[in-house]
Amino acid sequence: MQVVMSILSHFIQRLSRTVWSGRYWLTILFVLSTISGNAQNPSLEYQLKAVFLFNFTQFVDWPAESFPNNKSPLVIGVIGENPFGNYLEQAVSGETKNGHPVIVQYYRDEEAAKSCHMLFINLPASDKRKQVIDKIKEEPVLTVSDASDFSIQGGLVRFVKKNNKIKLQINLEACKELGLVPSSKLLKLADIVEPGKTN
Amino acid sequence: MEMTNPTTNRQPQRNLSGKLLILTLFFAPAISFSQDKNKPTAPATLKKLTLEQLMDIEVTSVSKRPQHLAEVASAIQVITRKDILQSGAKTLAEALRLASNLQVAQVNSSQWAISARGFDNVLANKLLVLIDGRTVYTPLYAGVFWDVQNLILEDVDRIEVISGPGGTLWGANAVNGVINIITKSSRETKGLYAEAATGTSLPGLGSVRYGGQLTKNLSYRVYGTGFRLGHTVDSNAVKVNDDWSMLQGGLRLDWEASDKDVVSLQQNIYNDRPNPDATEKSLIARGSNVVTRWNHTISDRSNFQLQAYYDHTFRDFRNNFTEDLKTFDIEWQQSYEHGHGNQLTYGLNLRMMDHKVTNLQLFQFLPERKKLYLYSLFLQEELSLVPNRLHLTLGSKIEHNSYTGFEFQPSGRLSWTPVKKQTLWMSVSRAVRTPARIDRDFFLLLTPELPFIGGSESFKSETVIAYELGWRSRPREDLSLSVSTFYNTYDNIRSAEPGPEPFFIPITFANGVKGKTYGFELAATYQITRSWNLRGGYTFLKKDLKVKPESRDINAGRAESDDPQNQFVLQSSVEVLKWLELGTLIRYVDRLPKPAVPSYTGLDLRVAFKLGKSFEMNIVGQNLLDSRHFEFLPSSPAPRQIERSIYGKLICRL
Repeated sequence: MQVVMSILSHFIQRLSRTVWSGRYWLTILFVLSTISGNAQNPSLEYQLKAVFLFNFTQFVDWPAESFPNNKSPLVIGVIGENPFGNYLEQAVSGETKNGHPVIVQYYRDEEAAKSCHMLFINLPASDKRKQVIDKIKEEPVLTVSDASDFSIQGGLVRFVKKNNKIKLQINLEACKELGLVPSSKLLKLADIVEPGKTN
Repeated sequence: MEMTNPTTNRQPQRNLSGKLLILTLFFAPAISFSQDKNKPTAPATLKKLTLEQLMDIEVTSVSKRPQHLAEVASAIQVITRKDILQSGAKTLAEALRLASNLQVAQVNSSQWAISARGFDNVLANKLLVLIDGRTVYTPLYAGVFWDVQNLILEDVDRIEVISGPGGTLWGANAVNGVINIITKSSRETKGLYAEAATGTSLPGLGSVRYGGQLTKNLSYRVYGTGFRLGHTVDSNAVKVNDDWSMLQGGLRLDWEASDKDVVSLQQNIYNDRPNPDATEKSLIARGSNVVTRWNHTISDRSNFQLQAYYDHTFRDFRNNFTEDLKTFDIEWQQSYEHGHGNQLTYGLNLRMMDHKVTNLQLFQFLPERKKLYLYSLFLQEELSLVPNRLHLTLGSKIEHNSYTGFEFQPSGRLSWTPVKKQTLWMSVSRAVRTPARIDRDFFLLLTPELPFIGGSESFKSETVIAYELGWRSRPREDLSLSVSTFYNTYDNIRSAEPGPEPFFIPITFANGVKGKTYGFELAATYQITRSWNLRGGYTFLKKDLKVKPESRDINAGRAESDDPQNQFVLQSSVEVLKWLELGTLIRYVDRLPKPAVPSYTGLDLRVAFKLGKSFEMNIVGQNLLDSRHFEFLPSSPAPRQIERSIYGKLICRL
């Protein structure tokens, strides 16, 4: 019993020290300050998608030529309305891929988007989307979207909502043509689509 | 063209989440994912998840019953698969020791006394237990035969332990708590798992599970497990022959029929040989069950679930008394979100229990066979009074049973979130324990004409009105705290009334005890470093039960329970090296008043070595602090002591 009580008191002391430490109060202040101002947080759905995008940087290999040098960044681009707030930036902050820092850029036109490695296309209009895909289809850019006809249009990765959960569809053939290599782990969990054959 | 520049500042603390994360993930879609739509989860939190786990998070707030805000705003503790594996628990009952809001006492090799908020007993009857949606319950005494509730612990997803009444959602018997055991979907248990263990009080344990994908949308697993658990010792430390062995197998299918439909089917079959009385012949218990469930998403704001199960269990006490129970149950439930964050949930449940015993000449349930019918309807509305700040949940279950007719189990719950990740909640609820066959139909006779103990036609439901006040907080990613306090008022608790003079027989059951219990439960989880998790809890329980003026209870109100006033659980899990894990579980259980059992402290240690990617070797020592101790003294069979023990286990995951 005494052993337990001494462990207990040690535990409580340790806990109370941390709880009342400065960091705790900073957290509270931070929390209070964010409640009032920050209403534009992304939905859980887009929080998850942002983390998926980050994960793709780790589970897909790009051809070496797509990086000007071995310190140049791996760029995740977003075109169309930005659904992530600054969540995507937070998610990739400090991250690297084989020494390339991962960064986020937002684009207005597809010409600029050619230079990124991954492009999240958030354009509801199908023809606009097609235009972007066609423009960059020769470049090793992993295109990602929610759009249901994305694969048929030549897009590479699609987020599919299934039973309230987010699943992935990958157009593997098209990836390979561009020199993008998804890892087997990613492929195991995704649906492989071959729009050329089925449609 | 470039609209903004990426941020490049680093986040030094991004890896501090682990344990809480699992909590969040599993029970808290309601805490931090769906309920708090405007509160993002830290990217660091989500980034720690595997792709598979990410794909398994529900993204909209159509919550099924277990994720309800109202339940999160209650005294819930969640034991994850990881907690269980790191504790070295061999059986389900041992795993329940990890919930500090439960009273868990091992009685002998195969019997356990398990309850929440007191009234613990081998025949404890105020706790509702569900395994994958199936109520495991015998109407014989309104309790659980723990020796037939087994599964491969590796495949458990989580165990939710709710202390406090759950009658509004779960129905009769959820008087003091609900244990909800949930196994993984077969989508998450692909491949081979095999384990083999042996040790000083474990002659042998072996399990095999294999899971895979039949088609793209249809996954399965099959499993088999068997064990022989060793003997305990008597008061003089002499070995008794109460070894317990069992065999069980089963399968599970999960079918994602469409984007909106998930169907699952589970089947289990078991053959069990417990020997609580340590006699020549073990008891024989065998049974099988099948559960099927269909979840359908109607829209982003609405879904329903239809579940049906059949459960057959048979028990031969080897003295010619047998029990045979067939349960048919069908349940439908729908939830519908409306307005700004309001949610309406309603459901219907029909259950038929065909209960049959073979009587002995002097030990009888009359009639031998009885069909018990249960119909119920529940309705619950969760109102968002101030979105994301103040929620009011009102609901009631209306249940009709064969013994007492209609029973009402309403509850009201208010939760207030003044600042992010701090919730204050309070509730008032009523729950009932409806009569079991032992209360109404049981007769113990001295001679075929002379009854000694008898059930009573007038036995009513036991009731509780519970007042709860609690606080739940997650001040930091790596720390969660909760305090739950309760004040319960009970009425119509079972008493045993003496018969007329001069011999005072037959003794009959009545509702002669009332009283109150109060106390509090503290629980915390804390991730000290990336590889070191602590979880723990402390429970204080005080009881004040009185015999009513009209009652002459022969047990003076004490027969129904024997509970510790203080108990404490602390679990530490450390990943020392990539291939080395250390687990510690300390439990302190205060003395039990009557029958008196001294307080004890249990220490379990687990060392796990990972041998390559697929193999693992565990060495577990249990109850290390004393060579033996009592945990509970039952009225029968004879008291047994639990010995210090050690076992080794080899695990293969392919």
